[in-house]
Amino acid sequence: MSITSLVFVIFCTASILVYWRLPQQHRILWLFIVSMAFILTWSWNLAGILLVVATVNFLLGRWLGLAKDRRRVLLWIGIGFNVMALVALKYSDFYVGALTRLLGKMGVHTGAGGLLLLVPIGLSFIAVQMISYLVDVHNRILKPEAHWLDFSLYVVYFPKMLSGPVERARIILPMLKQPKTLDAQAAERNFWLIVVGVIRKIVLADALSSIIPAAIFLHPETFAGQNLLLYLLAYAFGIYNDFAGYTSIVRGISGFFGIELTNNFKLPYFSRSISEFWERWHISLSNWLRDTIFFPISRALLKKFPRREAVVNLVVPPMVTMLVSGMWHGLGWNFLFWGGLHGFYLIIERVSTLWSPRKLLDELPKWRQVLSALGVFVLVVLAWIPFRMALPTGWLYLVRIFTPSGWIKPDLWLFRMYIIGKVYVNSWTEFNLPDIRIFIVFIPALLLDWKQYRHKEETFMTKWPVWVKALCLAVLVLVIFLLACAETGTPFIYQGF
Amino acid sequence: MTQIFANKKSFWLLLILTVTFLCVLCTSLELLARTSWFEKVFPYRSVGNSDYQFEIKWFRLQDYVKQHGGVDIIILGSSLVNTGLNPDIVAQTYYQQTGVHPRIFNFGVEGMTISPNSVIAKLLVERYHPALLIYVTEMRDYIAGNGLEYETPFLRDPWLREQTGNFNLVGWLAGHSAALQHYLPFRNWVRSDFPDTLALYFKRYQQTSASGYEPDSAIGVNIDVPPNPDDPAEAQNFKDYGNYQVAAARLEDLKSILDFSKNQGTTVWVVEMPVHPTFYVYVGGEKVHQQFQQNISSLVAAKGGSFLPAEACLSVIPLNGRSNRWHLNYIGAPYFSNCLGSQLVGFVDQQQIKLTKLGASK
Repeated sequence: MSITSLVFVIFCTASILVYWRLPQQHRILWLFIVSMAFILTWSWNLAGILLVVATVNFLLGRWLGLAKDRRRVLLWIGIGFNVMALVALKYSDFYVGALTRLLGKMGVHTGAGGLLLLVPIGLSFIAVQMISYLVDVHNRILKPEAHWLDFSLYVVYFPKMLSGPVERARIILPMLKQPKTLDAQAAERNFWLIVVGVIRKIVLADALSSIIPAAIFLHPETFAGQNLLLYLLAYAFGIYNDFAGYTSIVRGISGFFGIELTNNFKLPYFSRSISEFWERWHISLSNWLRDTIFFPISRALLKKFPRREAVVNLVVPPMVTMLVSGMWHGLGWNFLFWGGLHGFYLIIERVSTLWSPRKLLDELPKWRQVLSALGVFVLVVLAWIPFRMALPTGWLYLVRIFTPSGWIKPDLWLFRMYIIGKVYVNSWTEFNLPDIRIFIVFIPALLLDWKQYRHKEETFMTKWPVWVKALCLAVLVLVIFLLACAETGTPFIYQGF
Repeated sequence: MTQIFANKKSFWLLLILTVTFLCVLCTSLELLARTSWFEKVFPYRSVGNSDYQFEIKWFRLQDYVKQHGGVDIIILGSSLVNTGLNPDIVAQTYYQQTGVHPRIFNFGVEGMTISPNSVIAKLLVERYHPALLIYVTEMRDYIAGNGLEYETPFLRDPWLREQTGNFNLVGWLAGHSAALQHYLPFRNWVRSDFPDTLALYFKRYQQTSASGYEPDSAIGVNIDVPPNPDDPAEAQNFKDYGNYQVAAARLEDLKSILDFSKNQGTTVWVVEMPVHPTFYVYVGGEKVHQQFQQNISSLVAAKGGSFLPAEACLSVIPLNGRSNRWHLNYIGAPYFSNCLGSQLVGFVDQQQIKLTKLGASK
């Protein structure tokens, strides 16, 4: 069941209405039932795997809570289990072929597809949540959850199941238990969060993703440099609006159950430094990486090398953190390179603070803030190249953009002849014109971000007069209908991670 | 629960206002789309069908009927008809020999075999009641798997389903809303291949005549040399058309065209496309072709129709009048059109079809 489908709208509305009719003590059970029902629409296997993961982590948490010694060993067993589950199921592409061949050599023939494993959607998100739960229990920040149902709901809670946010157990578990209320103001805010999410996903992200030709990620050498640059921008805005749209929708839905999910995005392309970018992009994962990888490594290193300026202190924590982030997105050299590149950006930023004391970004002159934001935007956008394609292809892409020979002069004469009906062409590419359709989507995308930035509020429209809100909704319904007429269809990008 | 709807009044107000604005917006757009100014600036129309050439023909026929007050003869078929028959020449030839100028429209659409054409025939006959439906056929029409890549999405189309009696809102809107029809040619603007498909659409839109003929400028080479099965470039053709067999389901489609049209008072004339004789090498030779002709002509005769074999016009088409072994080009089409016009005189006379009553005399 896709979360942008009409069936999902009906499913959520019914779930919410029943939820608020039920007495408090039955609401957790109801949420668990609807979450499992949602997961079952994807697959039975997925539901089974998630329940096994939840049960094992629940028991490990209980054990950790009770254990007096060897707690660290237990923690590592837990971390190992979650990482192994992730590697075994999500990254099976990397070893199933080799394993099948090995079994074949040993005389064990599995048959076509015999060893293919299910790739559980959302497992990467669940695995990191489970690790943080075990770490919190180990560090005695959180008491182990005593009720299997509550803990399992934390794992399978359907609004956050597919692509997060990565929620901490210490925040979400108490929220699940406490009596909930939902006032009119919160309901309106949740409604507009969903509307903003739908705009970002269906109107902006899907349109941008469909405009980009799939061949640019395979054969960039066949495209003009100017179009490669435009498509790279489209990809950058596409992936952002896709994930931010998803998060906004699920936060709105969860809000209707009285459960506030973490905001994952705070206008990341307005960041004035790379560190600020990671405080605004996929915030829940960034926080997890910071607390689980960056801080522990930094603390451990500082014990050994107390000088902050020591090279090892400057380089290792950001680099390791970002490499893990890269690997979390996928086991591939390109993801590792993407993570390494961001690690490198962070190192440069840290090194630059050694000579001049770091100023608060808000205290910088406006022109420097704008310039920094532009610089960060360029660096982040360039890093999307290895994120999206294989490294050799990415190199070709980059070369094509940055060498003058990669840019092909538009054939304006042919275009003029075409417009006045003197010639016909079989393909638009004959003109070598930049793909201006991207701007049709860019402009509303930027406008939405700008509005949110100016108002410092995601649901700034709640303050508008009712007739303006109604007009906007009417236009949105019409635009979605018109976009739905197109023969396209793109799933959420982060569903793949 | 009560808290969710604490602000019930403003919720309903928002809902009512949204619906009102939506109605106002849609009505305004619909009114705008129906003005003659808009029609002139944005003449392109679509019903959301996957086959844009079908749509060009569909709306061009509407315009043709609007301009001429009706249509006497519709020529139906695949791309072979689209590029191979110029209705204006057929009508001119007929006029020169009889003094009657029939209103003829070419509804040949690329990729359409007899299976989707049986559906199109029904739509056209029901809507325009032509005196004569010329169905131009060829051997590939009856291969079971041929043309499925066009046929499947074409028949799944909501508008087509609505037209054939299966009501659905999207199909109904596409059929009735002028605003939507003017938007639909551009509906795929977010697709990466849109600029290319649009360029091709514009090209075909401009090149298709008011009577539905689209000339083909290509000139085929070595058409008179029989294809070689060992040639890798020909492998697919031999694979697709070799081991030729007439599929029973396709024959049923032909029967349905003959039966339905007869019931609606439209005469059906099945004409075989004069493809180049070297084409028959693919299907197994002239014997297989003759067997095919026998099958079709006996079926047509059994249903009270008439069949014109390819040989009737084959000799008049020059070699440079073909763009490949199947299609005629802009040189060949006039020869075939002229020949068909002459054959039409005899056919109309023999069948006693009264074109004069329907057609406008010139």
